[in-house]
Amino acid sequence: MKKLLIFLAMIIGLVSYLSNMGWTQKPVMEEQLVYRQRFFDGKGYGGKGHPDGFTPHTEDTIYLIADHDNAISARITLVYFWPVAAKYRANWKALNEEVEGPLEILKDEKVIKSLEKENNCIYYPEGYIGEASLLYTGKKAEKMRKGFEEIVERYYMAVRMWRRKVNEYNKKVAEFRQEMEKIREKWRETGEEPSDEEIEKLILKKPEKPEPPEPPKFYVTEPRKDYTVNLPQGTYKIRVRAKDGTAQDSQKNLVVFGPRKTAAIGYEIVPENRWAKRESCDDPRSIIYVEGEENTLYFQPFYHDEYNEFYYNKLADPQNYGREKKWRWVRSEFIKDGLLVLLKEGKIIKKIENIPYYAKEIRGEQRGFDIIEYKKEEMSPDIRPTFEGHKVNLSSELVKGNCQVNLGKKNTGEFVKGGEREIRLVTKENSKYFYPFALFPLVIGLVIFIQRRKELK
Amino acid sequence: MKITLPIHTVKVLVKRDLFSALRGSGLYVVSSVLFLSVAFIVKNYLDSIKKNDVFVSYNPLSSAFFIPMVIVSVYLALVSAASISREKDQGTLEILFYGPVSYFSYIIGKYINGMLNYLVVVGFFFIYFLGISNLTNLGFSYRLVEAIFMSIFSVSCVISFGLLISSFTRRIRSSILWLVGIFLLFLGIQLSHTILLGMPETTMPSVLVYFEKSLSMISKYVIGWLSPFSYVDRGMEAVSLSDLKLYGMNIISCIIYSIVLLSLSMFILEKKGIKG
Repeated sequence: MKKLLIFLAMIIGLVSYLSNMGWTQKPVMEEQLVYRQRFFDGKGYGGKGHPDGFTPHTEDTIYLIADHDNAISARITLVYFWPVAAKYRANWKALNEEVEGPLEILKDEKVIKSLEKENNCIYYPEGYIGEASLLYTGKKAEKMRKGFEEIVERYYMAVRMWRRKVNEYNKKVAEFRQEMEKIREKWRETGEEPSDEEIEKLILKKPEKPEPPEPPKFYVTEPRKDYTVNLPQGTYKIRVRAKDGTAQDSQKNLVVFGPRKTAAIGYEIVPENRWAKRESCDDPRSIIYVEGEENTLYFQPFYHDEYNEFYYNKLADPQNYGREKKWRWVRSEFIKDGLLVLLKEGKIIKKIENIPYYAKEIRGEQRGFDIIEYKKEEMSPDIRPTFEGHKVNLSSELVKGNCQVNLGKKNTGEFVKGGEREIRLVTKENSKYFYPFALFPLVIGLVIFIQRRKELK
Repeated sequence: MKITLPIHTVKVLVKRDLFSALRGSGLYVVSSVLFLSVAFIVKNYLDSIKKNDVFVSYNPLSSAFFIPMVIVSVYLALVSAASISREKDQGTLEILFYGPVSYFSYIIGKYINGMLNYLVVVGFFFIYFLGISNLTNLGFSYRLVEAIFMSIFSVSCVISFGLLISSFTRRIRSSILWLVGIFLLFLGIQLSHTILLGMPETTMPSVLVYFEKSLSMISKYVIGWLSPFSYVDRGMEAVSLSDLKLYGMNIISCIIYSIVLLSLSMFILEKKGIKG
């Protein structure tokens, strides 16, 4: 027993010593030739939570989505192991050197393409925090950036003009006030009310506040030079051919994959009582369960594609894990021009449009949110819609016997394939019968036992 | 030389054990206890729907099926193992072997009895889940039927494993202790691996990361082939992924696993002799 305790104490000590070593030791930096990928992720190329992909020397395969432009580059950087995440990381700030030479793409050991570096940039049509992002390459990238810079320049010019106008406006306001003061003084001195003409003249003189110019909503990143890779599905090899003809230890496998299902319909369901807690309904076979007398749900339809989980996880970081047998849905874009059709027993009950909503906070003791229709003209300009969706009111009568929703095309009314979903109302009251019903095998056993006793008698 | 299968002997052995099981209380008590646990799980489901206002699922009852299925398979493995050890211990086995009973017919008889017992429970499962589906309006999906069908093959692995362990031991106590110990070890490794896989890497200390990698290797190359629960797990995975190829492959691997383990049980029983 004593020996066992000493042995256990030694093991615990060794484990904690080793783990402490991992935390406190300064990471060892190693100069490596790595790849950096600006990749298409099924939706776009960048934005929030979408950093560039990084393939250290330890990973022998890069993963990309087929038939889309992907910008990759080979670089020399310092790589270190980060034990917290058990992954290799790059210290770009310390060293970020470009590797010169064309990128060769090989299929079945034959060079099928030799790519030179070209400019590329990401265009965010809704701004950097928006959902959409597009990759432009070559001369178009330069043109896009130039166009963006011109618009920004024009915006700053407009801002300068506006500032000048604001100064003028402030002067005019001061003059207007002086004039108003004069009229007031005259009134006070003489006791005579100013005439309508005088007031009208004064009102007409009131200066109008200049509106500030609208900043550009879109954003275009600065162009950078990478190899643009756009390949059909398959397995390839890539390597950088240096000027002296060597491959510089840069060879990697390249897996180019595509989705198993494309443009399938999914729904994001926003319950009225918990608008921030949304439920996703990806699979067309999924059933939407609701409970209670009255339920209001907002449906946000979207297109999504289904990718292999293993490949998709490796896309962002080849050091990631994943299961090759598992598939995952990747949302591509929300459908805003459809009509949600509510059906019961095959008959159309209602066609619902997609409209914006605003979650208005309820102050006071009650607390919570009221979901109200967003009407731009009736609301203050600083209020923006919280979400958009098709509002579905589900009364218990409607859901009894189940009902369905489907997505219709606005112009033709035709249903979109894969847009149907079933809605069921669960009856929680009957759950009280679960426990007595669970005892039915015992009843069967008892019947058999009694019968056996009778037989024996 | 004409080889004849001892069908009649197997039939008699199965009939004897099956009647004894059906006339006993074990199967009914275990089924009822399992259904009480199912009732608890489904009730929690319904509470969560009420709490979250909406719940999306293709197959809401399948997770309520998985746990009882594993428990019933362990119970049947224990019963099969205990029955062989008991017969060895009491000397009934010796008497049986003076008759036309061979090692083959004896092990096959025990195996078929275990499987028939499970089929009785499967019948109960169908009645209970259909009842729950009608009471609550929760969908009794095709996937649940697939899961129940797959469970027949998965349970076959667990029962075969139980028979193999019992062929090594003589006393009921030791066979149950060995079986429970090995099952706990398998389940413990699989469970810790699953828990570690679910943890975000960034919050894991490096020791745990390496531990997870070692467990991953053990799970993949050792437990993945030896543990009957790996076959259960793979079967349920095939059902959840709706992967027909994986589903078929798992059925075939379950059959091969059962045949190998049953053959080993016969061989060991023969080597060790009737008295163990």
